Amino acid sequence: MTRTKQVLAVALMFVAVTGFIAPAGAENQVLKMATTTSTDNTGLLDYLAPRFKQDTGVELQWVSVGTGKALELGRNCDVDVLLVHAPAAEKKFVEEGHGVDRRQVMYNDFVVIGPRTDPAQVRGLAVADAMKKMARDKAIFVSRGDDSGTNKKEIGLWKKAGIEGIDKEAWYVQTGQGMMATINVAAERNGYTLTDRGTYITYENNQKGNPPLVILVEGDPGLFNQYSVIPINPAKCPDTKFDLAKKYSDWMASEPIQQFIGDFKLLDKQLFIPNAK
Amino acid sequence: MNYILEGLVKAFQLLLRGDPETYSAIRVTVQVSTYSMLASLCLGLPLGFLLGYGTFPLKKMVRTLVDTLLSLPTVLIGLIVYAFVSYRGPLGEYGLLFTLPAIAIGQTILALPVVVALAATAVESLDQRLHTTLLTLGANPRQFLLSNLWEARFGLLAAGVAAYGRVLTEVGISMMVGGNIKWHTRTITTAVALETGKGQFGMGIALGLVLMAIALTVNLSLFFLRKRTRH
Amino acid sequence: MTESIYALKGIRHCYGDLVALSIDDFAVAPGSIIGLVGPNGSGKSTLLRMLSFLEKPSQGEILFSGSSEESSTRSARLHVTLLDQEPYLLKRSVMENVAYGLKVRGMRQGYAIRVKEALSWVGLAPEEFARRQWYELSGGEAQRVALACRLVLHPRVLLLDEPTSSVDATSAALIKEASLRARQEWGTTLVIASHDWPWLHEVCDEVFHLFRGSIIGSGMGNVLFGPWTIRADGLAEKHLADGTAILVSAAPNEKSMAVIDPRSVSVHKAPAATEGRANTLAGTISALALQKHSGRVLVTATVDSIHFHAELSSTEVRARGVFPGEQAWVCFRPEDVRWI
Repeated sequence: MTRTKQVLAVALMFVAVTGFIAPAGAENQVLKMATTTSTDNTGLLDYLAPRFKQDTGVELQWVSVGTGKALELGRNCDVDVLLVHAPAAEKKFVEEGHGVDRRQVMYNDFVVIGPRTDPAQVRGLAVADAMKKMARDKAIFVSRGDDSGTNKKEIGLWKKAGIEGIDKEAWYVQTGQGMMATINVAAERNGYTLTDRGTYITYENNQKGNPPLVILVEGDPGLFNQYSVIPINPAKCPDTKFDLAKKYSDWMASEPIQQFIGDFKLLDKQLFIPNAK
Repeated sequence: MNYILEGLVKAFQLLLRGDPETYSAIRVTVQVSTYSMLASLCLGLPLGFLLGYGTFPLKKMVRTLVDTLLSLPTVLIGLIVYAFVSYRGPLGEYGLLFTLPAIAIGQTILALPVVVALAATAVESLDQRLHTTLLTLGANPRQFLLSNLWEARFGLLAAGVAAYGRVLTEVGISMMVGGNIKWHTRTITTAVALETGKGQFGMGIALGLVLMAIALTVNLSLFFLRKRTRH
Repeated sequence: MTESIYALKGIRHCYGDLVALSIDDFAVAPGSIIGLVGPNGSGKSTLLRMLSFLEKPSQGEILFSGSSEESSTRSARLHVTLLDQEPYLLKRSVMENVAYGLKVRGMRQGYAIRVKEALSWVGLAPEEFARRQWYELSGGEAQRVALACRLVLHPRVLLLDEPTSSVDATSAALIKEASLRARQEWGTTLVIASHDWPWLHEVCDEVFHLFRGSIIGSGMGNVLFGPWTIRADGLAEKHLADGTAILVSAAPNEKSMAVIDPRSVSVHKAPAATEGRANTLAGTISALALQKHSGRVLVTATVDSIHFHAELSSTEVRARGVFPGEQAWVCFRPEDVRWI
């Protein structure tokens, strides 16, 4: 009997210690945001959230997922605001009435990276020419294939270059994974891929300055990657915190924060260019 | 490939320096897995007893169903729980998405078949004479159930350890319905997934080792508990 | 007349198509000691399970202290307890095992004294055994702990299923002694199934014979099983290994069972001059037991693994010099056999 009691006591203590510690911080206003992996993985949100809390008293909580899933979370009213980068899908999202007051806040850019040897000879080309050349040479190209913003962008680029029906080509490898995993696959397969600059800088740093994959195509306006803030439509989702979402949207577009975003550096390199209107 | 060595060194650094993010993830992991284990044991042990001891129509089919649920993939559980707790889902009004209870619900679904199946096996393997003995000594139905479970305690402990292993290591549910929110719902496994996504493989390995350390602590305490209950 | 503690009426119990028990009328007086004998599979254990309310008969009614068991199976079970042939101990200490029955009855304190008393009754020193674990006991010790688990309850009825068949002699003696002590101290009714005829005849108020699920008789009858060979002269005989045969009156069929009253059986040191066709079978005396009521001695002799019981006066025993281990001759007349 005493033993049973001891076991019970230990179990209860365990619950007490683990269960009843209130989550850090007192009850306060919380804004839930769905965003893309690129903003989280680069550390931008860890940089912005404390400032937002300081300026407005609102705690920013975010889940970082692919853009496709972020939009789905918005459709299901599971978050209050989106920070995403897939303009076409965003426009459709707003047209369907799920979001309101879409506001462009910043952009970063994509780069085409590939082996130093550059087997398809695309270095320095315009992005459309580079895509055509890779398709013609059947050079290994590794795609995210996960309906993320980057993936949507890449599909758009193939389309603009007039290349179609590559989905089942042997040289077109779809990983279905995140950006970093995809870059690693490209490195292992000695192939090309399209990545956001932020992830590439992280990758470059991880490789101690001697990466097997290097930037081959960059600076083309077609590679710009526009980020927008979209508050969820309160008419569709009455319980979302539209006022906070709006506050966040205004805050992101405000002059000092635009400046602040511009100052964000990853390994001494600027990643995001503010362009709120 | 010096990630492993780097991971080992980092694991010690994280633990010894009291890295707040790591400790937050540890707290979340332990807390949520405790909820889900308590829930799955409270539900699973009586159900396992019924399945192992009782006789009812379709018992074999139920058994097969439970055994099949052992291979329920965590992403599927994550999706199903998401569908329920999402704002548009049947339980949307409770605002459970991206909270620990949501993860605990999913993990309970994950652990329940393990507890039920293994508890049923443990109860089944009890000696028939035990039942006669308990009844003839005057046990009422509740005492009969509890004494049976206590007699099967070593088998049940194994069931708990197996279920805990699944709960502690799953990532699909925590990611899908927890959202990997820093300071709130980031567990060790979702942190590993995040660090891996960021290319911080060493950090990922370090967190993985921290998880192993938790598992080791739990299993060691169970080992001593088991020794105590034997002697 | 006191009310019966058990009254069984029209009991039929079946396992599938097999009729395991078929008892029309059977009663047990409170405080009595009842013996059940019969070959393996004769229904002794099934009857004990009915009496301990672990199983319900397929048909019929068991009255416990005059009330139907239907109404209060568990409350009846609190007064009745069964000790199995192969005891099961809970995976706990001896103390916890013996205290279990008291605890499920809501006794939270003061059980240690009763546990110690019960342990000392079965010859286990409490200070040595109370702390032992279930796996630290020999077979005989485990059986005695199992008995202590029952004795500690001060039961109104103690049912014993072959309590001494698989234990050492010392344990067997202690188990017998402790069971009788329960009868003396609390008036506990004992129902004992056993192959130990001498013991049963020594202690029991009545011994019932079971065969194929039925009570075929009571008292100290000898039971003889076939197969019988029907002879030309109408008599039947059963061949024994040494070439001789047991001769009995005309058998209804070759599988019938015969009963002979021990008073019709005689045991002699030398082959007596027999008249007519009487049996004179060579055997060995295996036991002597004083009968509880008659004051006569029951002599058991083994002939080719068949036990014969003969009732003699103590004078006759002394005069004939029939003592255990000695060669002896078992004699009875074929026509004294009764067919079941």
